[in-house]
Amino acid sequence: MVRSALGPQGGARLNKGPRAGADYVPAATVVAGSLLSLLPIVSATGWWPDFGLLMLLGWRLLRADAWPAWWAAPLGFLNDIILGNPIGLSVAMWAAITIAMDILDRRTMWRDYWIEWAIAVVFIALSEIAHWRLAGVMGAEVPFNNAIGPAILIGALCFPVAAFVAYRLDRWRLGR
Amino acid sequence: MAASAGPRPGWSRRAQYSLFFSFLAVIAGLVVGLILLILSLIAPQSYAAVRGAALDATAPVSGAFREVTTTVTGLFSGAGNYWDAANQNAELKRDRAALMRRMVEARAILEENRQLKSALQLRERTRDAVAAGRIVGSSFESSRRFAIISVGASDGVQVGMPVRAAEGLIGRIIDAGSVASRVLLVTDRANIVPARILRGGQPVISTGRGDGTIDVRPLEVGRNPFKPGDVIVTSGTGGLYPPLVPIAKVVRLDDDGAIAIPIADPARVSFAIVESPFEPEALIAAASGVEAP
Repeated sequence: MVRSALGPQGGARLNKGPRAGADYVPAATVVAGSLLSLLPIVSATGWWPDFGLLMLLGWRLLRADAWPAWWAAPLGFLNDIILGNPIGLSVAMWAAITIAMDILDRRTMWRDYWIEWAIAVVFIALSEIAHWRLAGVMGAEVPFNNAIGPAILIGALCFPVAAFVAYRLDRWRLGR
Repeated sequence: MAASAGPRPGWSRRAQYSLFFSFLAVIAGLVVGLILLILSLIAPQSYAAVRGAALDATAPVSGAFREVTTTVTGLFSGAGNYWDAANQNAELKRDRAALMRRMVEARAILEENRQLKSALQLRERTRDAVAAGRIVGSSFESSRRFAIISVGASDGVQVGMPVRAAEGLIGRIIDAGSVASRVLLVTDRANIVPARILRGGQPVISTGRGDGTIDVRPLEVGRNPFKPGDVIVTSGTGGLYPPLVPIAKVVRLDDDGAIAIPIADPARVSFAIVESPFEPEALIAAASGVEAP
């Protein structure tokens, strides 16, 4: 330990702690994910995933204390008004995901990357299905295969990117 | 790696309480979210102010990005136009000559039409544009098909007004902020447009399919009236959309209808024009909140 502190790279390792505002970085990246929907992409199909949700899942699977659990509701509200969803959809969905994650944390005995990916895919699929059912209730009954299948697949494939971003940002904000 | 059993605060009573109250708060958040959701289902107009303000705050960001992307894509397609320019030029000249002949014929028909209408004493309603704006974004994350347009209530845009481009129909306004509005595209499942086939004029109904195509069905049951290549235009029934605006082109037939692709691609059109409804009464019906997100 002493030797590493005296070594050439040792100086960089001293005096490192969490950065200023480290507590707010995770929530800020979720909002940034929601804001990605403002990119000027005019697409005929709506198959891109909900990036705010991906970041939420990425952070929540990485660590349980990324933000106080109740922040899920206001983050969901921001997501709703930025994306133009029916207001309350992400509020309820994200709060429910947070509760389900807390229960999962107590029940699962073993975690590895594949299990986390599977959990994320389940939540992405549930969220897309909730969007789809709600669109049906509001008079936009889309066939399942057209709208939801590709969206779930693309969301599942995008999740590792969100998890990687969350992991690197976590290292950065904690100064490691 | 064994799972950590959630955030364990240790022996601190204060930390335990704060964790417990946080858990209670997220349950409260779930309940509030469900109430908000039910409210937005049964009374969608109650959020009009919030949604409009959010649009105003976010649309300028999309608009600025949009400028950058159109400039960049313009550079590339502009360079591409120089490729094979001589052949293109000859072809365009040929097309132009053919179109000139057609235009003279059309002028004559228009004149004849006007005379016939005045003989029948049909009154022409003037169609004036309320505002023209750019399409700056779309709902690429949702199965609903919305676009954001850079004009709002300060330009005179109101909920329910039809939106078109020079090429054809785009949709109608469903949320109006003061400098930006949200458009329900014709490709959305909830957008049902009374239409007809340009060839023959048989009445049909056009419904979006949510994946960039449009489903067209004849009003009368019987033989499938569509042929690939048919142009579908608005009929003006219902009074919201003006008549004879092109909507879509039929690409494939199915058992009792056809699949069509929209003529005005929201990603390509440079300007979208908001018009006042063909019949002013239709706006009042639309604003009372029959269909809104």
